[in-house]
Amino acid sequence: METSFALTGKGYVIVAADTTSARSIVKMKNDEDKIKTVSPHLLMSYSGEPGDTVQFAEYIERNLRLYQIRNLYPLRPSAAASWIRRSLAESLRSRSPYSVNLLVGGYDTSTHEPKLYWIDYLGTVSEVPFAAHGYGSYFVLSLLDRYHDPEAPLEEGLATLKRCIQEVSKRLIVSPEKYKVKVVDKDGVREVEL
Amino acid sequence: MARRYDSKIAKVSKVVHNYQYDITFQVAQLYSRLKAWAPHCILCFYTYNSLSGRLYQIEYAMEAISHAGTVLGVLAKDGVVLAAEKKVTGKLLDLSGAKAGGYGGSGEKIFLLNSNMIGGVAGLTADANSLVNYARSAAQRHLLAYNDDIPVELLAQKLCDLKQGYTQFGGLRPFGVSILYAGYDPHYEFQLYHSDPSGNYSGWKATCIGANNGTAQSLLKQEYKDDIVVKDAIGLVLRTMSKTMDSTTLSSEKLEFAVLTLDEATKTPKAKIYRPAEIDALLQTEGLIKKDDDAEMKST
Amino acid sequence: MNTFVNQFSTHSAVSQLKRAQNLIAADEDEYSDATWGSQAGFGNMIKGTPNFTVPAVPDPAAFLRLHTDDHADPNCRIKIQHGTTTLAFRFQGGVIVAVDSRATAGSYIASGTVKKVIEINPYLLGTMAGGAADCQFWETYLGMHCRLHELRNRERISVSAASKYLSNLVYSYKGMGLSMGTMICGWDKTGPAVFYVDSDGTRLKGDLFSVGSGSTFAYGVLDQGYRWDLTDEEAQELGRRSIFAAGHRDAFSGNTCNLYHVKEDGWKFIGNYDVSTMYYDGPGDVPGAPGGGYGYAIRTEGRSAADPPASS
Repeated sequence: METSFALTGKGYVIVAADTTSARSIVKMKNDEDKIKTVSPHLLMSYSGEPGDTVQFAEYIERNLRLYQIRNLYPLRPSAAASWIRRSLAESLRSRSPYSVNLLVGGYDTSTHEPKLYWIDYLGTVSEVPFAAHGYGSYFVLSLLDRYHDPEAPLEEGLATLKRCIQEVSKRLIVSPEKYKVKVVDKDGVREVEL
Repeated sequence: MARRYDSKIAKVSKVVHNYQYDITFQVAQLYSRLKAWAPHCILCFYTYNSLSGRLYQIEYAMEAISHAGTVLGVLAKDGVVLAAEKKVTGKLLDLSGAKAGGYGGSGEKIFLLNSNMIGGVAGLTADANSLVNYARSAAQRHLLAYNDDIPVELLAQKLCDLKQGYTQFGGLRPFGVSILYAGYDPHYEFQLYHSDPSGNYSGWKATCIGANNGTAQSLLKQEYKDDIVVKDAIGLVLRTMSKTMDSTTLSSEKLEFAVLTLDEATKTPKAKIYRPAEIDALLQTEGLIKKDDDAEMKST
Repeated sequence: MNTFVNQFSTHSAVSQLKRAQNLIAADEDEYSDATWGSQAGFGNMIKGTPNFTVPAVPDPAAFLRLHTDDHADPNCRIKIQHGTTTLAFRFQGGVIVAVDSRATAGSYIASGTVKKVIEINPYLLGTMAGGAADCQFWETYLGMHCRLHELRNRERISVSAASKYLSNLVYSYKGMGLSMGTMICGWDKTGPAVFYVDSDGTRLKGDLFSVGSGSTFAYGVLDQGYRWDLTDEEAQELGRRSIFAAGHRDAFSGNTCNLYHVKEDGWKFIGNYDVSTMYYDGPGDVPGAPGGGYGYAIRTEGRSAADPPASS
């Protein structure tokens, strides 16, 4: 089952998503990257209806890029999240809505704040210190209520992420085996190995 | 000549009853009538290139603006200050209604464009009103899409796109307005921009538009310091204003004034457009009410 | 009076009483205690297939489904209490049993002070998830048989045997609409023991279980904090905190947490803790509590992820 997590820490956001691409009962691919770098300091993980996910993510990616080309600076995470939400909400009211759930994590270079937004396919956005989508969220949200620390350094944040992954592998029936993990901080975006 | 054309059409349409055909002919008919009756009309399309490549309409508009009420802006380290001269057109003008501006100020020259932006306009008031309205709508559209105040330069750009459009197409007249934009956004913090009727815009530390803008700018150039703070900028603006304005009186009757700063507690931009009484109080503290004695003399 | 009439009438006082007795007592009460010893525990099978007391309709299971299935018909007459969080775990110091106290019927909170731990006897506890009535009735019934076991065998029933009895019992009603997910916890000759039994007939022995709609949230905290060598205080704290986590995240769980600790000399009720109070102030002055509220906002108050450069 598709699962994605994200959590903030002192000056960074970690975004993690499983790497399986499934069709029916078959795993078609097990190294799919479901986290897009949509801006120099912005990550977006996406899950949901196959087909919709990538189409929507690329639409967002290209539009955010266009904004950056036009205005020389990229949208700040809060503005980007609001715009993404609006795009989803408008799509929801169209004839063929996108069914995509997102986690948008970014670093606001002007306020030096890590920002994380939980967005669902209905166009709900909420700024949160940590977030999860998919069945994993049922196990991980209470865990993060208990263990998450907004001031944790990166190593500690990654350790908390490992707890989440371990908990999901332990309790979820069809738990993902591999995750891709990316970090965004003042230096931009990078992938990390757990 | 037109008549002959008409009869020709009548003949043709008798033979062919095809809508498309008819429409094509109607267009041809219209054009030929225009040509036949008003050949000079081609020349009344407003903006056009002269042989030297200059757009006279724009230049006329800018010339007109240089006679309009002065608007002066100074960018400080911790804010932006804007002042404008109101041209009082006559003693009979009833200003009793204008004095109670909704959000402060009488709303003739200085406008709140968005919660993070103030605009000062010089030129045709009616055109300016239209542009202010456009700017406010554009800012709200941005807020709706991005849940974030529009970046200052972006709003200036949007207005310039509009202004430019009116310099390019036939049958249109450019906006006879220059605008100073004082604003704040987290990208570049405090900013001051100027845009003219051609759709050009530029950023400034201190600038002036309208009557005597040359004098004012050279005064500003002499006195401006890079790390000036709002408190000193207010003084600089008022002093420069008092020197450039035609009239010797400096009072709320002829002056609009606004300051954009950051709210200490919330760190959000705070636009303050002064009310007439506040302007007078400010002038008093800055020691710039010249005609105090005269006023007393009048009253006695 | 006329015994023949009494025997076959459906209206007489005697027959009504008889039917009432049949409803209360299960099938094997018809047999004398002597059958137990002589039939090696299979006494209730002596007359062939067991039969049950069921509603007087052609298809009782369909009848029940018609009136209780709240997925198919939200306006059904009976809404079974489904939302719950219960947990129990075994550790070095015994067994911790912790449950919430919310009873919901559909989206309605029917009660916030439900006892979801059934004290079967001084050494046995049963937890309650699923249909409240089913759990209450059958676990009380189980308690009765545990007592009978003691009387017959001059020793306490093992947790394993008690859970097996319940498991067999609910299995015999399989497909008839029972809904229970329970943990039978206690201390016997083998030490602390926890068994999970549900109305599908599943029976599992284990160290750590959580049951109910809020179980996933409880697991999230429980799994991460669990060790065999937890001290008593740590274990009680973990149980409390896990129920709190579920009460906080799951809409169908909450209100308060009831905490029990089973040791060699039987179970002990540790306390009742309000979930909201735990969020803001913590469980109060109890051993093992860290002090301060459990709530995320309370725990991280004043801490910020912002990382402005040192100079400004």
